[in-house]
Amino acid sequence: MIERSTPLRRLLTVEVPILAIIGFALAPYLWMVLTSIKPDADISAFPLRYLPSRVTFEHYFTLLAQTSFLGNLFNSLVVAVGAVAVGLAASVPAAYAFSRFRFKGRQVLMTQFLVINMFPVVLLIIPLFVLMRYLHLLDTYFGIIIGHSTFAIPFAVWMLTSYMNGIPRELDEAAMIDGASRLQTIRLVILPLLMPGVVTTAIYIFVTSWNEYLFAMMLSGDHVRTVTVALQLFVGEFTVQWGLLTAGGTLVAIPVTILFLIVQKRLVSGLTAGAVKA
Amino acid sequence: MNLPAAPTRRSLLPFAFLAPALAVEVAIICYPVLQTVWMSLHDFVLFRPNSVPFIAFGNFARAFMDPVFWLSLWNSVLWIVFIVLFQFLLGLGTALLLNRSFWWRGLARALVVIPWALPSVIIGLMWTWMYDYNLGVINDLLLRLHLIGAPIAWLARPDTTLPSIMLALVWQGFPFFAVTILAGLQTVSQEQLEAAEIDGANAFQRLRSVVLPAIAEVLATALLLRTIWVANSLDVILVMTGGGPGYASHTLPLYAFLKAYSSMEIGYGAALSLILTALLLFVVYAYVRRAARAEAAA
Amino acid sequence: MERRTFLKLTGATAVAGALARPVAAQQQTTVRWWYHFDNPQASPNDLIAKFEAANPGIKVQAESIPWGGGNDYYTRLFAAIVAGSGPDCAMVKLNNQARLLELQALAPLDDMVSGWADKGDIADSIWTLNKASDGHQYYLPLQYVVIYLYYRTDMFAAAGLKPPTTFEEFRAAAKALTKDGVFGFGMRGGAGGYDNWGPFVLGGGADFKKGGMISDAALKANRFYVGFNTQDKIISPSAPTDGFQQIIANFKAGRSAMAIHHVGSSNDIAAVLGDKVSAVPVPHGPDGKGWTLYGDESNAVFAAAADKAAAFKWVSFLSTGANNAAFNALTGQLSVTGSGAKLDTIHQPRFVAASTASLPVAGVLPDSSKTADFTGTVWPTEMQQALLGQITPDAMMQAIETLYNG
Repeated sequence: MIERSTPLRRLLTVEVPILAIIGFALAPYLWMVLTSIKPDADISAFPLRYLPSRVTFEHYFTLLAQTSFLGNLFNSLVVAVGAVAVGLAASVPAAYAFSRFRFKGRQVLMTQFLVINMFPVVLLIIPLFVLMRYLHLLDTYFGIIIGHSTFAIPFAVWMLTSYMNGIPRELDEAAMIDGASRLQTIRLVILPLLMPGVVTTAIYIFVTSWNEYLFAMMLSGDHVRTVTVALQLFVGEFTVQWGLLTAGGTLVAIPVTILFLIVQKRLVSGLTAGAVKA
Repeated sequence: MNLPAAPTRRSLLPFAFLAPALAVEVAIICYPVLQTVWMSLHDFVLFRPNSVPFIAFGNFARAFMDPVFWLSLWNSVLWIVFIVLFQFLLGLGTALLLNRSFWWRGLARALVVIPWALPSVIIGLMWTWMYDYNLGVINDLLLRLHLIGAPIAWLARPDTTLPSIMLALVWQGFPFFAVTILAGLQTVSQEQLEAAEIDGANAFQRLRSVVLPAIAEVLATALLLRTIWVANSLDVILVMTGGGPGYASHTLPLYAFLKAYSSMEIGYGAALSLILTALLLFVVYAYVRRAARAEAAA
Repeated sequence: MERRTFLKLTGATAVAGALARPVAAQQQTTVRWWYHFDNPQASPNDLIAKFEAANPGIKVQAESIPWGGGNDYYTRLFAAIVAGSGPDCAMVKLNNQARLLELQALAPLDDMVSGWADKGDIADSIWTLNKASDGHQYYLPLQYVVIYLYYRTDMFAAAGLKPPTTFEEFRAAAKALTKDGVFGFGMRGGAGGYDNWGPFVLGGGADFKKGGMISDAALKANRFYVGFNTQDKIISPSAPTDGFQQIIANFKAGRSAMAIHHVGSSNDIAAVLGDKVSAVPVPHGPDGKGWTLYGDESNAVFAAAADKAAAFKWVSFLSTGANNAAFNALTGQLSVTGSGAKLDTIHQPRFVAASTASLPVAGVLPDSSKTADFTGTVWPTEMQQALLGQITPDAMMQAIETLYNG
């Protein structure tokens, strides 16, 4: 990119708008963080207190010491990673099939994936519950992972197919003319170029699984409880434990943010016109 | 790019690649989906499982005569159109900005996903609290800035409740577009951009003639997927207002949910959901046909 | 290869876990019990240990289920019962009794109760309230709260008012105290708010029998209540969608002078307001009669339970004297047993006094499968529309009448 703009111009046209957008994205989150370090009395004060009268970490201590929150975070992590693994394992080959082949029933199959996802999850909950019980998958990691990946796969297939369509087929042809087998072509040519798409899809599956509530609530029990269900437990019948809830809410966003910080370089893994030509 | 179609000699090979995805879907989803369709054709009340008469399209007829159904449908249309539109625009703008280089770009990219990373219960509770009449941050700030003279009961007034919840959804979902489009922007050819710039195109013209066409398919897919997701979403409304006041924030999936789980009329709830699915099917079908035609023309 | 191993392991674990069922030896039974506590930090483990020590051969497996406004808890329960994987016993409320009965999910407890030593420790009125419409006892009372009226002692003193006893006094007090951004009454118009509406309308002459919602007295009472918003303006504009969270927060922050709730929130409120808050029974009509909501919670034993006697032993243990008091120390509600009530150390006396003073007029909603619909969808939507003036108060009463009586 010919960077002809002066630093001031860049500041005004890029950094200030981005700051505004990040501000919009973070404002409610920051409000939640502020609440989590306020003593209970501050939370119900009127007029509104913005800054805490004194900073306290008692909610975090209670959360981590007296509830199973850390264990729930771990469960969510296992489930989300599992959903990504199963989801990618199923959708990458499927996307390859849809992108690189033309076969009878292709349109129908692609549409059918989406149709299944258009069924509202909520209505499927009870039959799914009965099915999972029949398969003895209730209250197991595997059960929730399968549940989550089932809903992630159709979207993942579509997203990966469109990313893969962006990789010209000439590259495949060139590689195969050069003597590479189909699998080698996939491994050495397509996957590297698909990396931004794979990373995006993985993030999508991870985030969807991470903050999914309905399945986790229905299919899990005391043994495998995810963090979304654990947070719901703080909303009781007669009280809402704001301190614990906001502390938990603050913590729950952190793993995803760190994950994204790590993978965002792969997201933009230097796909340039040069690589395409090579 | 005129390429001959891939050979269909090894016509079983694509199915081998499709097998894992199909297996999971068929094994897990088939039964619940068929059950839902079956339930919609019966008068199925959950606490009367022994008396389930077959009523064919009785539930659907009931829906068409139900004023709440039509109200929910209208709210759903508003819901989908405005949320997807604003999520898309904000996400597109964010992606374009995050694609430029500035020193804290990596951090910005990570921070922008935070709304998307929060569970619906947190989002619903936090935004409800922010919109609170007496104790909410939004009223407080607007009052301090003298933009309003008296607090507004955002979630209790039928005219403001749906837009208020929609703002929370736009906030929650725009990172999805930002991330997806950002990934797609990586495939935009640098050479084409530079060529356009040399030809004298300004930023907006470059956007229109080079960038957008290059990411068109990713955009269309993201829009399609998001539309489906937003159409079916109900957790946040449930937490924030439960559909109220009155029916002001009833959308079709929420109405179906309340009928199925609160009133326990699962048959009727299933029928309502299937109507929504059928309507979404039109959108999908139109997209798939258009994509097929574009492919055939390419 | 890691992925495949991972999948194999989780798959194997799932299968193994499913196969490794607890061995049903002659002496050892397991009672599965579902519960919901407001504080996830509170745990019933101490009570379980005490029970298991006194009853070797019975193990209690307690599972805490998210409440989710009631929806999540009952969706789980009904789905589990339908799928055949329900618990042996669970905490339940009266508004779902009729549905559970239609599902034929409950085991009648009459015989076990008549043989229970401590049944006399629970007042007859409480037994009666928990009886089903078919005359059998399915629910074993566990704890309760009674809806009463919180009021700000300082605001009332400053205005020279005494806490109201009749509807008119209530309205007058609320009007006098509505000023400077404070509202006289923090009405709950959102989910669960029928406990605010009940005292004024059911206490004002309405009832759920045929024609009972559209009698002259009933319509008048409801118009009076809706008038709080449309005419008197003594409630916050946010009232139509305010839930318990909002009314308690507003009351604690001094934005309302009166609020209707129960002893479950008393410690939370008193922690903030101290002596500036007290409670009295809800106001009654000019004829002296009144009505307030009895907030029930019981344990039920399910028909599908393998060992109903063992399950009954556990639930009756929880409803016995000192154990009941200990249980309620965890939940913040009131003990149903006379002896347990004397052991109450966690509630402040004035709130317990207001609760017990309200018992004589405390009632429950009808034992009908329509009731859950009433509380879940019909009441909120009709009430909200009436408060906003979208429908007339009379239309609201007609809708309720139609729901229950066709």
